Amino acid sequence: MTNAREISVEYLARVEGEGSMRVEVVDDHIEHVEFSIFEPPRFFEAFLRGRPHTDAPDITARICGICPIAYQMSSVHAMEDAFGVTVGGPLRELRRLIYCGEWIESHALHIYLLHAPDFLGYQSGIHMAADHRDVVERGLRLKKAGNAIVGLLGGREIHPINVKVGGFYRTPTKAELETLVPELEWAKEAAIETIRFVSGFTFPEADMDFEFVSLSHPDEYPFNEGRIISNRGLDISVAEFNETFVEEHVERSNALHSRIRERGAYHVGPLARYSLNFDKLTPLAQNLAREAGLERVCMNPFKSIVVRSVETLYAVEEALRIIDEYEPPAAPAVPYTVKEGEGHGATEAPRGLLYHRYRVHDDGRIADAQIVPPTAQNQLTIESDLRYVLERHLDLPDEELAWVLEQSIRNYDPCISCATHFLDLTVDRG
Amino acid sequence: MAETVVIGVGNRMMGDDAVGPAVLDRLTGRVAPDIALIESVGDATHLLESWRDTRLAVVVDAVVSGGVPGSVRRIDGRNGLPSTWRSASTHLVGVAEAIDLGAAVEVLPDELVVYGIEIGSVQPGVSLSPAIDAAADVAAEGIVAELEGVTSRTA
Repeated sequence: MTNAREISVEYLARVEGEGSMRVEVVDDHIEHVEFSIFEPPRFFEAFLRGRPHTDAPDITARICGICPIAYQMSSVHAMEDAFGVTVGGPLRELRRLIYCGEWIESHALHIYLLHAPDFLGYQSGIHMAADHRDVVERGLRLKKAGNAIVGLLGGREIHPINVKVGGFYRTPTKAELETLVPELEWAKEAAIETIRFVSGFTFPEADMDFEFVSLSHPDEYPFNEGRIISNRGLDISVAEFNETFVEEHVERSNALHSRIRERGAYHVGPLARYSLNFDKLTPLAQNLAREAGLERVCMNPFKSIVVRSVETLYAVEEALRIIDEYEPPAAPAVPYTVKEGEGHGATEAPRGLLYHRYRVHDDGRIADAQIVPPTAQNQLTIESDLRYVLERHLDLPDEELAWVLEQSIRNYDPCISCATHFLDLTVDRG
Repeated sequence: MAETVVIGVGNRMMGDDAVGPAVLDRLTGRVAPDIALIESVGDATHLLESWRDTRLAVVVDAVVSGGVPGSVRRIDGRNGLPSTWRSASTHLVGVAEAIDLGAAVEVLPDELVVYGIEIGSVQPGVSLSPAIDAAADVAAEGIVAELEGVTSRTA
């Protein structure tokens, strides 16, 4: 008798995007794995056409409520590339600082309220909060410390408005930045506690063969700048993105899957950044990573929660360093001359590499826009992770199998406002 | 921290989902200056921090529950939201999730009023459909009246 199982997870896109996960197993043979969580931001690309180039940071920031800074940063870097502008000194440091804020808030949210419940056996962060109130409060406060950086530098926490091509509309005084320090000092200790907390979880065994892709910079853990590298020898400038990566239409769905040309799936995000840039972490973050049992390269996606915790500590330390060394710039932005051209920008969003490309008319209007978010790039890798997990857990009852599959998806912190709610889970036995 | 906050939930680039922020626009200049108007994408932790230590929070959000688009419902939110408003989310996005999380960690305002404005569906766009635009007016008038009452009670 044939024993067919179909497991599907449907997603409700409250804000935007749509997707689904469907798995078919017949007689312990995996017939089909289909995952698509992310609809590319085509509306935004179309909407930007014809608008002033100065609109790009504020409009693209609304693609994701959780990582607006990433969208702002990739867009301003792309525009500056088109116009031949370089932003250095304190302005560059302030950009790193605001990015630290976004990493802290995004990582804290995911670690404490979205991912930890998977490991501790709770349906959600809400259920977990009932039993672990102190832990959840620590996560909330840590997230708030990140929000405070974004709020101060961005003008407001949600849809920040202070970032512009060339720099900022207004830069903070030293005294203003120093108001952040006491809470960041607390956050540093909290981040250390976070690493110790999550490293005590039980992790499913997994040893993947990922091609990791991230930015790499000779002097720093990457946020805004660097070459795009991989652990299989890739080493390209951001402008070569489209020569290397391709978004392919998948026949069975509306999704686009990103691949490295003639090679296949790749992995962006904390695991990739960490594994390709371990040497650039602070000594404290490196030590805590080792103490948590991480090697210099981590191929177990279930341990991404530990890596996110290490990156949170790094971001807090980096924020404190920047504030300590900060001297206000002479002007809040670098002047530039608009000219016709094309520019590329890639920065490290909390979830991984975020690429923007714009062509600009000679009057500064946008002729063409391309945005490739990290969650879109990871879709194919998530699908192959699901297959890997399925192969090793076919003996589990449907409910437990669905749990570990969802957990596999959450390893990637799929962009929540761009993607998803888990609305319903159905298990259909043939 | 303001004693009273009004939180508009939604994304201004997603058509009728922007009705919460659109209500905030209508309230600007019409409510007392010490009342904070806060825009939110609905991340539960942001909602929770927005109403932490407040006496009264009014939350305005778009709802898809099968009702008539443009209908406006006002409910006391401290006891949670109707099940049809829930997303059963494990991603902590939404007002219902924020209320549940707030209850778990005891971070709820003394009074929590939720205005739910029924929308048909969410499609990308930068304008409200006529029925939802009219509903935003209705909700805004209701909130203005409600907040005048607050002022007179505390004066």
